[in-house]
Amino acid sequence: MTRSPRLAAMVRIAFLSVLSAAMLIPMYILVINAFKSQQDILKNPFTIDLSAATTEYLTAAWNNPDFSIPKGYLITLGLVACVNVISIGLCVPAAYVLARTPKPLFRLILMFFVAGMFIPTQVILIPVIFVLRRLTLMGTFPGLVLFMTATTIPFTLFVFTGYIRVLPRALDEAAAIDGAGRWYTVWRIVFPLMRPIVATAFILNSLSVWNDFASPQVILGPGSGIYTVTTGVYAAVGQYSADYTKVFPTLLLAVIPILIIFVAMQRHIMRGLAAGSIKG
Amino acid sequence: MARIMTKRTAPRRRVWREATVRAGMVVPALVLYVGLLVVPVGYAVYYSFTDYNGFPNQVPEFIGWDNYKRVFQSSDITDSMVVTGTVALAGAVLVNLAALGLALLLQQTNRFNTFGRVVMFYPHVLSALVVGFLWQAMLGPQGVVNTMMDKVGHSSLPFLSNPTWALWSMIFVIAWSLFGVQLVLYLAGLQTIPADLIEAARIDGAGRWQTFRAVTWPALAPTVTVAIITSGISLLKTYDVVVSLTGGGPAGSTQTLAYSILAVSFPGRKIGLASAEAVVLIIAAAVLAFTVLALRRRAEEGAESIG
Repeated sequence: MTRSPRLAAMVRIAFLSVLSAAMLIPMYILVINAFKSQQDILKNPFTIDLSAATTEYLTAAWNNPDFSIPKGYLITLGLVACVNVISIGLCVPAAYVLARTPKPLFRLILMFFVAGMFIPTQVILIPVIFVLRRLTLMGTFPGLVLFMTATTIPFTLFVFTGYIRVLPRALDEAAAIDGAGRWYTVWRIVFPLMRPIVATAFILNSLSVWNDFASPQVILGPGSGIYTVTTGVYAAVGQYSADYTKVFPTLLLAVIPILIIFVAMQRHIMRGLAAGSIKG
Repeated sequence: MARIMTKRTAPRRRVWREATVRAGMVVPALVLYVGLLVVPVGYAVYYSFTDYNGFPNQVPEFIGWDNYKRVFQSSDITDSMVVTGTVALAGAVLVNLAALGLALLLQQTNRFNTFGRVVMFYPHVLSALVVGFLWQAMLGPQGVVNTMMDKVGHSSLPFLSNPTWALWSMIFVIAWSLFGVQLVLYLAGLQTIPADLIEAARIDGAGRWQTFRAVTWPALAPTVTVAIITSGISLLKTYDVVVSLTGGGPAGSTQTLAYSILAVSFPGRKIGLASAEAVVLIIAAAVLAFTVLALRRRAEEGAESIG
């Protein structure tokens, strides 16, 4: 070990520190300006006078008649939960069969599913409207759940199949000898072993569902009165983007929970993402 | 290998039952996937050849290639294709340069680097819509950045009000929110490089740059290919940021194809035209996807010949 890399290490640390600070500036601006009046924001956007700080605007944003933030959370959480349950519930057995049946037909089915990963979902939303209309699910929460679940299926199925393939076959054979049926084998023997990949799919699908804007905007529409966090933010802020006493508090309330969850679970989230991206 | 479950000698009824169980496991996922992803793509293709306006009582009339002609002749739409292409290309380059550079700086696992990774990644957990609104408040004419520049005696800059500035501001914002994902990808890729390879290079007297050129870069090549093209595909779909950051303006300079479909053609009840635009974008994504798969196969064969 020589001492020469020391300067390089210091330069590296300094550079990363400055960059980290720069990355956090928008967050800093968002937090401090949520407690200030319009005048104050326009005059001193970068500093906060703690004695003049007020939660008035945060309260107003929380009680916004256009968009109830607590209700938006509940709906979005419900959406995330429903999509994950259905998606995992459908993909585990399907992936099990596709992984364990070495027939060309099943390989073809898998490829057919995987092709779906490359369909840009925002772009097919318009024809989706007409499909959902036929099913009389347009403008409803179940319609949105079903569509969003469909968008998660290709990726979820793909990573599940890859994962089950490397699980030892002896497990299923032993279960079969003991007289266990296929369904029992899937849920009681294979599924518990899939925990890491299920966590990965859960994290990635939750992030994409939570953050999606186009699907709830188009499928629910303003007429349904159902807002997710993103469509609610759009309804609350979209027309008033010059009124910073609306913009900053609403955005802050919209991002706080997800940021807390992210910081608390960052290790799992980033590891899950790495696992997913290597497999995907 | 004898397989207990599918023995030929098994009674016919059992084989039949087995097949039903298997079908029962695959079909529900298949139905949902086909019904809400594949069928809509089919509808998009069908409507793209009609004059459909979306009213339930109108029977779509077949009008041949007219919508596609309009897609490639209307300057609004061709402009939005150029914008989409610029966003995808410049965005992918910017995102990947930043991600690869930072991955190299953050590759060792220690407390400082973990903090750094979290800070670089956090914009990705915010929705693109929120990111757009936040940066609009930062970069707008009365935004934070211009106010601060005003304070230090600098005249304000037209980040979002000049067409060229607006496009590049948007690309910067998208890159800001996206590069964390690719960073994680590159970090994972770097971990797969055997440490003894790098050590061997060091022992042979290679400097940092030489080690990177001769060992790290070639070993990372498959990751780089995949990262560039996957980020390109997600950039092709850019919609949310446009809605919240610029609204497609000024003068349509930041209007992407996805925005043109959902925010211009669709509200204008031009379902046929919107569908033709969608088909064009799906084809662009498919071309990119096939490139990924082809390049990936080649990279994997290369990796096999090394390992």
